[in-house]
Amino acid sequence: MVIWKQKWSHMSVAAMLVLSLGVTGCASNNNNGGGNTANTGGNAEQGTNDGKAAEGTNSAGANAGSSADAKSEIEFMGWGGDTEKAVFQKLIDDYMKKYPNKKVKYTVVPPGEYYQKLDTLIAAKKTPDVFYAGGAHFNKLVNSDQLLNLDSLVESTGAVDPNNVWKAGLDRYRFDGKTVGAGSLYGLPKDVGPWAMAYNKDLFDKAGLPYPSAKAGEYTWDDMLAAAQKLTVKNARGKIDTFGIAGFSLEAAVWGNGGDWIDYSTGTVTIDTPEFAEAMQFAADLGNKYKVSPTPDDEKAQNGYARFVAGKIAMFPMGPWDQPGFWNLPFKWDIAAWPASPKTGKTATWLGSLGFVVGKNTDYPEDAFQLAAYLSLDRDSQKQNYELGQAVPNLIDMAKGEFLQMDKAPQTRQVFLDIIEDYGRPPVEVGSKNLKWLDTFNQDASQVWTGKKTAAEFLKEEQPKLQKLYDEGNK
Amino acid sequence: MKKKTTGFRRKEMLWSLAFVAPPVLGFLIFGLAPLLTSFGLSFMSWDMMTPAKFVGADNFVKMAEDEKFYKALYNTFYLLLGIPLGMIVALVLAMMMNRPLKGISIFRTIYYIPVVSPIIAISLLWQWLLNYDYGIINEFIWRIFGVQGPNWLGDPNWVKPSFLMLGLWGGVGGTMVLYLAGLQGISSTYYEAAEVDGASRWHQFRHITLPLLSPIHFFVVVMGIIGTFQAFSQMYILTPDGGPEYSGGTIVFYIFQEAFKYFNMGYASAVAWVLGILIFIVTLIQFRFSKRWVYQD
Repeated sequence: MVIWKQKWSHMSVAAMLVLSLGVTGCASNNNNGGGNTANTGGNAEQGTNDGKAAEGTNSAGANAGSSADAKSEIEFMGWGGDTEKAVFQKLIDDYMKKYPNKKVKYTVVPPGEYYQKLDTLIAAKKTPDVFYAGGAHFNKLVNSDQLLNLDSLVESTGAVDPNNVWKAGLDRYRFDGKTVGAGSLYGLPKDVGPWAMAYNKDLFDKAGLPYPSAKAGEYTWDDMLAAAQKLTVKNARGKIDTFGIAGFSLEAAVWGNGGDWIDYSTGTVTIDTPEFAEAMQFAADLGNKYKVSPTPDDEKAQNGYARFVAGKIAMFPMGPWDQPGFWNLPFKWDIAAWPASPKTGKTATWLGSLGFVVGKNTDYPEDAFQLAAYLSLDRDSQKQNYELGQAVPNLIDMAKGEFLQMDKAPQTRQVFLDIIEDYGRPPVEVGSKNLKWLDTFNQDASQVWTGKKTAAEFLKEEQPKLQKLYDEGNK
Repeated sequence: MKKKTTGFRRKEMLWSLAFVAPPVLGFLIFGLAPLLTSFGLSFMSWDMMTPAKFVGADNFVKMAEDEKFYKALYNTFYLLLGIPLGMIVALVLAMMMNRPLKGISIFRTIYYIPVVSPIIAISLLWQWLLNYDYGIINEFIWRIFGVQGPNWLGDPNWVKPSFLMLGLWGGVGGTMVLYLAGLQGISSTYYEAAEVDGASRWHQFRHITLPLLSPIHFFVVVMGIIGTFQAFSQMYILTPDGGPEYSGGTIVFYIFQEAFKYFNMGYASAVAWVLGILIFIVTLIQFRFSKRWVYQD
C-alpha cells in the first residue's frame, strides 16, 4: 500500500509535468508563425473585452441617461517607435486625469505587424474601439463596413470644428466607397505629412549657387539639374562623394508633368501616357545619365537619408517628422518647394496622412469619438506634437500662428503649409483597396532605375499587367 | 480481487489518456484544424473582414496564369542547387575533420556554430557581409582582384547566388556532423582489405566511402529538399519586398505576402496546398528511387 501511494504521488507529479509541458509547448508553437503572434495578442485582450462587456450591461441604465460621466473603457491601438509611444501615453494619461471615469487601454504594435494584427482582431470580432488607419487600408475598412460613420457625432458633440482643420486632412477620411474626399466622414487625421524638399545650405553656399525657391513653380527641373551638376563632387578614387540630389520623388515628377498612375473614377491605369514616361525618364536619368543622384546600387550601399545627414547630398525630400533628426545636423538647411516641370510650370507633391478611426461595433461610440477628437485636435497635444517636431498642427489657426513663428529649422515653414493647402496630393495608393498592382509597379520599375529599359518601353509593357492586377483586387 | 484490478485498470486507462491528451489535443487544435480550414479556404475568397465566398476552383485557375507564382516556383527550384553544393563541401569538411588531430573538436565546433545560430541573426549578419559598397566580401574582391564585386542583393542575377552562399555557410555544419558520424561508422576493415588489393585512395573513396554513406546522402537530400521548399526567413530579412524583379521571392514567401500583405487568404491557402502536394510527390519519388541506390545493411 505504501509503495502504491508513493507510485501514485510520483505519477501525479509526472502527469502535472507532462501537462504543463504540453501546454507551454502548444503556446510556443503558436508563437512560431508570423501570423499566429497576432492571435496570441487577441487572446490576451479577450480578458479585458469580457470585463468590458459585463461593465457595459451594468451601466446600461446610466448610459441611456447621460453618457458624459458614465464609466467606459476604450481600447486604443496604434503603432510607432518609443518616441511616439511616450507622447501618446502621456496624452492618454492626461485624458484619463481630465475624465476620471473614462479609462483608455493603449496598445502599441510594431509598424510592420500592425495591419496583420488589426485584421486578425477584426476577423476575431475583437476590433479595438479607436485605432490608426490610413491609405489603402482605410478604404478597405470602409468598404467592408468596419468603421463608424462620424457625421452625426461631429454634428451633435461639436468636438470638431471643420473650419479649423485642414480640408486636405479631413477629406482624406471621407469615402463613399469609390472616391476619396466624397461621402461621409469615417476618421480624423492624426497628422498630415507634406513631403517637401530639404536642401543643404552650406553646400549651396560653397558652390556659390542661389537657394531653390520656396514658391511653387519658380524652380524647375532644369534649374534643379543645373544646380545638381555643380553640386556633385567626385572623390580621389573617382567615386562620387557628394550628390546633387537624392530621392527625387517619382510621384512629384509625374504629377507635376500632368500624368498620373490611375484614374480612380474609371479604374483605368494610366501609366502609359507620354507625360508619365517623360517624368519617369527624367527621374531615372538623374542617376544613370547625368550622374547627379545615387543609383539604386549606391542607395543599396548607403541610403539617401544617411548620405544627407552626413552632408553628402545637397537636395533631399523630407517630411515634418524628420525635423528632430535634422535639428542636430552640423550644417544649415531649409526647405523649398518641389521643382516644377518645365513643360507645365507646375509642381505637386505627396501629402501623407494617417487617421484615427472608430470601430463600428464599439460599445461606447460617443466616448470613442471623443477620444479620437482629443488625440487629433486637442490644443495642448497639438502644441506638444509640433514642438517635438513630430508634425504640422492639424488646427489651422495654430499652424498659421505659433507654428510658423517657431525659431527652429526649417526657417521657411510656410512651404509645409503651401503643400497642405495647395499642391499636395494624396499618395497613389489612396483610392485602392488592394495594392498588389502598385507594389508590382514599384518592383518592376527597377528595370528603369538601373537603366535596363527606357521608361516608355517599360510603361507600355507594364500597363496591361497592372490593369489586370488592379481589376482583380479592386473591382 | 477481480473487481479491484478492473478499477485499477480503469484508473490506468484514464491516466494513459491524460498523458496522451496534450499532444493529441495539440495536434487536433494546431495541426489538423488549420489543415482542414486551409483546405476549405483554398476554394474560397476571404479577406478576413467580409464573409468568405465560395469560388470553386477559381484560385487554382488564377494560379495557373499567375506570373509571380511561376517566378516564385522557379526561384525555389533554383535554390535546390544548394543541396548538392552543400553535400560536397560538407563531405570534404567531414573527411578533414575525421582525423585524430589534437584540438580537432574545436574545429568541429567552429563549423557547427552557424547551425545553432538563429536564421534571423545569420541573415542580418550576411546583409552586412553582402553590402555592395562596404561589405567585407566586396572589399575582399577589391583587395585581391582589383575589381568591384557584384551588387549581391541589388542585382536580380546575384540575389539567388547570395542565398546559396548564405545557405551553404549556415547549413554545412549540420550536414558535416551527419557525415562525420557516417564516416566513423565505416569499419576500417574495408579499407585494409582494399589496400591489400592495391586500390588507390580515389578508388577507396569512390567504392567504399561513398556507397556506405548513401543512407546519409538520402537523408540529407530529402531533408534538404523539404527545407528548401519551405525557405522563408532569409528572404524576409534580405529582400523584404521580394528583391529586384522578384528575384528573391520563394513560394512560402509568396504565400506569406498573399496572406498577410494582401489578405487573399483563399488564394494563399490554395498556393500552400499546391506546395504541400509538390513536396509530397517529390518525397514519394525519392523514396521509390532510394531502393536503387541507398545501401541498407
